[in-house]
Amino acid sequence: MTVTVYIPAPFRRLTGNCTYVEGHGQTVAELLDELKTRYPALGDMLQNEAGELPTHIHIYVNNQEIHSLQGKATPLNDGDEVAVIPAIAGGQDLTPEQTLRYSRQIMIPQVGSAGQRKLLDAKVLIVGAGGLGSPAAVYLAAAGVGTLGIVDSDELELSNLQRQILHHTADVGRPKVDSAQETIARYNPDVRVIPHRVRLTSANAMEIIAQYDMVVGAVDNFVTRYLLNDACYLAGKPYIDGGVFLFEGQATVFIPGRGCYRCLFPAPPPAELAPSPSQVGLLGVLPGVIGVIEAVEALKLILGLGESLAGRLLIFDALAMEFRQVSTRRDPHCPLCGDAPTIHELGDYEASPSSPLAGHHEA
Amino acid sequence: MFTIEKHYIDEMIAHARQEAPLECCGVLGGRDGRVLKLYQATNAEHSRYCYNIHSQDLLRINRECEENGWQFLGIYHSHTDSKAYPSPTDVHLAAPWPEPLYFIVSLRDADNPEVRAFRIRDGEVTEEELEIVWHAEGPPVPPP
Repeated sequence: MTVTVYIPAPFRRLTGNCTYVEGHGQTVAELLDELKTRYPALGDMLQNEAGELPTHIHIYVNNQEIHSLQGKATPLNDGDEVAVIPAIAGGQDLTPEQTLRYSRQIMIPQVGSAGQRKLLDAKVLIVGAGGLGSPAAVYLAAAGVGTLGIVDSDELELSNLQRQILHHTADVGRPKVDSAQETIARYNPDVRVIPHRVRLTSANAMEIIAQYDMVVGAVDNFVTRYLLNDACYLAGKPYIDGGVFLFEGQATVFIPGRGCYRCLFPAPPPAELAPSPSQVGLLGVLPGVIGVIEAVEALKLILGLGESLAGRLLIFDALAMEFRQVSTRRDPHCPLCGDAPTIHELGDYEASPSSPLAGHHEA
Repeated sequence: MFTIEKHYIDEMIAHARQEAPLECCGVLGGRDGRVLKLYQATNAEHSRYCYNIHSQDLLRINRECEENGWQFLGIYHSHTDSKAYPSPTDVHLAAPWPEPLYFIVSLRDADNPEVRAFRIRDGEVTEEELEIVWHAEGPPVPPP
């Protein structure tokens, strides 16, 4: 196949000042090999040390970048126009202070500076600044997750301090989002905290969640949990869920298309079986354990590392000091993410007779 | 010394503010050292820390400049919370485009945005003094 190759200004010195050169090949890969033979200096620009096409070179076939076609296997036809244009790009590096602050995780080969930049660029929404949300927020902030949204409408009560480590004694009576923001700023000024001093509802959930890459659920009631589950699925965002009760905790991850909370628990428990959270005893350290597990899952998702808890429900028994897991999967009959879904938008969660716990975001 | 009309400087600052906290990016096209059009581009990285002109924008801008007989006189991007100076990554990735002047808009001091311009060639950074004028033929704009 004979094609015309457009050479942009910065590469013309490599092709004898020609704007267009003729090229041949059945595919882009063959064309590149042929160009390398005829224009070795251009060829040097079109391959890295591993012999691959460098990521900063864009190749277009008939105005389409080849990554949106079949990459180097993109077939060529007679008369096609191919363009080879170097990317225009740049980036800030970590500051010396950031390099030092995050040095222990930058040392991890799978993280490195590139991973640290991903963390600084990540936006995580934490719903609930209570027992689960506190440790999750503290560790995500310390790790340098650049943007943390915190949703909580409550003021701090003295009885919260037994587990809610985002807040301090002097904060009693203050909005939790305010003390959370101050605590995080003291841990790590790199982190931008976006306080949402609201109760998450059908009316505001989609708009808030849309601003973030993923959601850490740190709620203690079924109304908000079903709302979050549905909103995250509809928004296409991963939802990391945790829960605690007496001496037992659970954590899992829902990735849209790989099952959701409704696949696991199609309906909330009846009201009489779901006691008000403030009436349930709780070992303060337990949400600490589960909240930190949620933070680990968020970091893994941001960095693209390891196996997430998607498809698994992790159950922690503090008395036995035992972790168990059960497999979970997408239910084809799920009303939200099944084959014939009936839920297409957020409904009226507050009206559910089996959900007396509306309004509480703390665990 | 590079002469540029003030409205291009203002447009770069406005673009940086509009995209903040993400980095913005774009191209200044023109001829004979005179900027004739500012092209805003999409930052394909959607990032606070790096920029990469979207491949389709790059093709479109490149084509329009070719058709007009223009060159890429400038490439601009923003640093939302650091100084207006090329980072090592900026220098490294500038290698394939040695001719344009690299403009960096810093929003570190939100009330006093700063625009500086640099030649980046063979890994060497040299600041280029900017002469800011109201109109290409007119006198320089007095400093604030």
